[in-house]
Amino acid sequence: MKKYLFSRVVRGIISIIVIVFIIMLLVYSLSDRDLIFFGDPVYNKALNNKKTVYKYEQWEKYGYLEYMTYADYLNELRDSGQLDKATFDAAVSIGATAEKDSDATKVYVKKFEDYCKANGFTVKRLDRVMVKSTYGNKLSMAEGGEQKLFAYKERSVFVRLGEFLKNLIKVDTINFAEGDVGERGLTFTWYDPAYGGEKFSPAIMGNGTQHKYLVYFDNKFPFIHQNIVKIQLGKSYSVRQGIDVFDSMTESQGSHLKTEVTYPTGLVEVSADDLHNATYVAGSKPTDPKNPNYTRFNDDYTNTPTLKGGKSKMGYSFVIGILAVIGAYCIGVPLGIVMARKKDKLLDKLGTIYIIFIMAVPSLAYIFMFKAVGAEMGLPTTFDVDSKSALMYILPIVSLALPSIANLMKWIRRYMIDQMNSDYVKFARSGGLSEGEIFGKHIMKNAIIPIVHGIPGSVLGAMTGALITERVYTVPGAGGLLVEALNKYDNSVIVGVAMFYAVLSVVSVILGDVFMSMVDPRISFSTKER
Amino acid sequence: MDEKTNLIDLSEFNMSEEELFTKFDHDTIESEKITAPRYSYWRSVFRVFFKKKINIVILALLALVIVFAYIYPLATGYDSDVTPFKYLSDLESYNMTPSQAINKYGFSLEWIFGSGKSGESTFDAVWFGSSISLSLAFICAAINMTIGVVIGAIWGFSKKVDMFMMEVYNIIGNIPYLLLISVMVLIMSASFWTMVFALTITGWLGIAYFIRTQVVIIRDREYNLASKCLGTSTFKIALKNILPFMTSIIVTLLATEIPSYISYEVFLSYVGMGLNENSLGKMIEVSQNSIFLQGREIQFWAPVAVASLITIVLYVVGQNLGDASDPRTHM
Repeated sequence: MKKYLFSRVVRGIISIIVIVFIIMLLVYSLSDRDLIFFGDPVYNKALNNKKTVYKYEQWEKYGYLEYMTYADYLNELRDSGQLDKATFDAAVSIGATAEKDSDATKVYVKKFEDYCKANGFTVKRLDRVMVKSTYGNKLSMAEGGEQKLFAYKERSVFVRLGEFLKNLIKVDTINFAEGDVGERGLTFTWYDPAYGGEKFSPAIMGNGTQHKYLVYFDNKFPFIHQNIVKIQLGKSYSVRQGIDVFDSMTESQGSHLKTEVTYPTGLVEVSADDLHNATYVAGSKPTDPKNPNYTRFNDDYTNTPTLKGGKSKMGYSFVIGILAVIGAYCIGVPLGIVMARKKDKLLDKLGTIYIIFIMAVPSLAYIFMFKAVGAEMGLPTTFDVDSKSALMYILPIVSLALPSIANLMKWIRRYMIDQMNSDYVKFARSGGLSEGEIFGKHIMKNAIIPIVHGIPGSVLGAMTGALITERVYTVPGAGGLLVEALNKYDNSVIVGVAMFYAVLSVVSVILGDVFMSMVDPRISFSTKER
Repeated sequence: MDEKTNLIDLSEFNMSEEELFTKFDHDTIESEKITAPRYSYWRSVFRVFFKKKINIVILALLALVIVFAYIYPLATGYDSDVTPFKYLSDLESYNMTPSQAINKYGFSLEWIFGSGKSGESTFDAVWFGSSISLSLAFICAAINMTIGVVIGAIWGFSKKVDMFMMEVYNIIGNIPYLLLISVMVLIMSASFWTMVFALTITGWLGIAYFIRTQVVIIRDREYNLASKCLGTSTFKIALKNILPFMTSIIVTLLATEIPSYISYEVFLSYVGMGLNENSLGKMIEVSQNSIFLQGREIQFWAPVAVASLITIVLYVVGQNLGDASDPRTHM
C-alpha cells in the first residue's frame, strides 16, 4: 500500500509539473503578447521609440523576456570596476544613428554587441525619429523619438518552469541578511517580547534571518504560526503589484486591527503593526532621533505589515465553503436516502423536480433567485468585511450548499436504488430483516462508498472559492483571483493559481482513494494497479 | 379429479372426429425457427417515450423554443449586428417596462418583455441570443460526443491505449476546465468558433473517460466472451453487442451535456470571458446591473428565464429519452 501511494504521489507531482508547463506554454508562448497593453494608459500615450522601449520593459516585467539596455551594461561594467567614470561618461551617450556615435561610444557599442551575441541576446537599435516642425522646415526630434539601444532575450518555457519550481518553496535561514547584523543565530524564548515579555507565549526568534519571528503564538487560528518555510507562487504585476500570489490569498483583509504592542525598544503603543511578521530591511535601523521609528526599533527588522480585522481571501472562501459542504452532507445524504426509500412517492417526485431544476438551470440564474428570496426575508445580500454580523454569511453558504445538496441527493438515490435490486438485499429480506435494518445496515454501507470518495475533493475545493457566489454577494474570497488575473493579463498570477488548483485536485483524488479503501475493505491498492 | 369429469363432451358438437381435428405433421424447418414477438428497438423507444403524457408537453415546448430561436428572428428580421433598434430617435422608447411598451405600441408578443437600453425589443433580442447559445451548445455537444464516444470505445477496448490515455486523463483532467477555457479565449479572440474550440479541446476527455468505464464494464461480460469464442470480430462485437447497450447511456449523457454548454456560456459571459456575439450569456452580462434599477429588472430576468427554460426543456427531454432508450424499460 505504501508503495502504491508513493507511486501515486510521484505521478501526481509529475502531473502538476506538466500542468504548470502547459499553462505556461499557453499563457506565455501562444497568447498575443501585445494584448497586455490593452487599456494601459501609459502605453497608449507613449509615442515612437518610447513606446517600443516601454513594450520591452513591460514584457520583462511580465516575464516574457530578459531585457537589458546599453546603459545597464555600462553600469554593470563600471560597478565591477572594468570601466572608469570618465570613460563611462564618454561612452554612455549614443548618437542619433550608428554613424554619429562618438569614437568612445563606438568601441563600447561593439563590446555590447559582442557581449549580447555571446549570451544569446538580440540587439535592437532605434534611430532618432525626426519630424518637421510646424514652424518652417526645421527638423526636430519627435515626441518620444529619442534614440535607443537595447538587447533582449526570449525566455524559454523550460527556463521559466525551472525558475518557478526552484522558487516555489523558500526556507528562511540565518544567512539571509546581507551585511553586519551582529551575531547570527536563533533564540528561543518562553515569553514573547511583543506581548511585553511577561505573558507566557513561546517564540523562536532569529537574527540574520529574513523574518524576525520564525515561530510564534497568537490568538488567531491556527494559533501557532511559522515564518520558516514560505510558498511562493509567483509575484503579481497588475493584480497586486509585487505581492506573491500565495500571500494575496492568505493575507488578512479589511480595516486595521489595533492592539497593544510592545516594540523592541520597550515602547508600548496601541498600533496595528504586526511585529510578528517584521522582516529585515538592510540598513533600516533608525539612527535619527527625529524618525518616528527611533523610539520603536533598535534593529534592522523594521518592515512590519499591519494587522487587519478581516480574514484572508482563502479564509473567507474556506469558511463559507466548508460550512456549505458540511450543510450539504448533513442535508443531502439523508434526503437522498429518504428519496430512495420512498421511490416514486410524492417526496421522491418533489426531490426529482428540485434536482432537475438545479442540474438544468444555469447556476447564475438560481443564485440570483436565492439572492432575491434572501433579500425578501431581510437577510443582508452584500458582504462587509468589517461587519461582525454572522447573518451575512447565510446567503453565500445557502447558495453554495443548495446545488451540492441536489448533487448529493441525485447520487445517493441512484446508488441506493442500484443496491436495492441486488441479490444480497433480497436475501436479507427473505431472511426476515426489517426494512430499516436492510437500509441502515446493508444498503447504506454500500451506497455511501462512492460518496466518501468525493469528500476530500469538496473540502479542499472550498479553498479555491466559488466564483459566481462570491461575485454576486461581493465576498472578498479567492474565487475571483483567477478571473481578475485573466482580465488584467497578470501571467504569473494565472500560473500560480493554476498550480494551486492542480495541487488541490491531485491531493483530493489521492485522499479520496485512501478514504474509500478505509471505508470499503474490499478495495485494495495492490489490485488496483492492473 | 373433478376437472376431468367436467371436460367438454365431444358428442355435443354432433361432428365426426375428422371434422373436429386435422392432423398436423411435424415440420422440421418450422421447428428450427424461433418465434418471438416482433421487436423494433426504435419503435419501442418512442412507444415508451410517448406513453408518458408529460413528454408530449415537454416536446411541444422544445419545438416552440426551437421555432422561436431559429424562425422567429428570421420572421421579424431582428439582427443585433445590423438594425436591432425600432425607434432609435425616440428617447422615450428606451428601457421601457412591459406595461409601458404595451401601452405605447399596443399589445404584441414583441413588447411583452419591454425594451432594452437602445429601445430594442427585449423579446426579440432574447430569442436572437438564444439561437446563438443553442447553436453553440448543439455544435459543441455534437463534436464532443462524437470524439468522446469513438475515443472512449477504443480506450475501453485496447489495453495499450488504456495505459496511455489514463496518464493523459490524469494530467489534462486536473487542469481546471474554467482555467483552460479562459486561457483559450484569452489567446484567441472571443468569437463563436473560438468558443467552440475552447469548449471542445478538452471537453471530449470527460465523455471519453465515462464511455471507457462503461465499455470496460460490459466488455468482459459472459455474452461477449461467448461471442468472442464463436469467432465474432471485435468490430462486430463493438457494433452489435456493446453499442445497443450504450445507446441509453449516450442519450442520457447528451441530456446533461447540451444544457451544460449553455450554462458554461452564461457563466463565462458573466465573468467577462464570453462571446462577442449577443448571445444569452452576453445579454445577462450586459444587463447584470439592471436588477438594481427600478423598472429595468426585466432586462436581466428575461434572458435568465429563457436560458433556464431552454436548459430545463432540453434536460428533461434528454433524460426521458434516455430512460426510454434503455431496453429494460421496453417490457
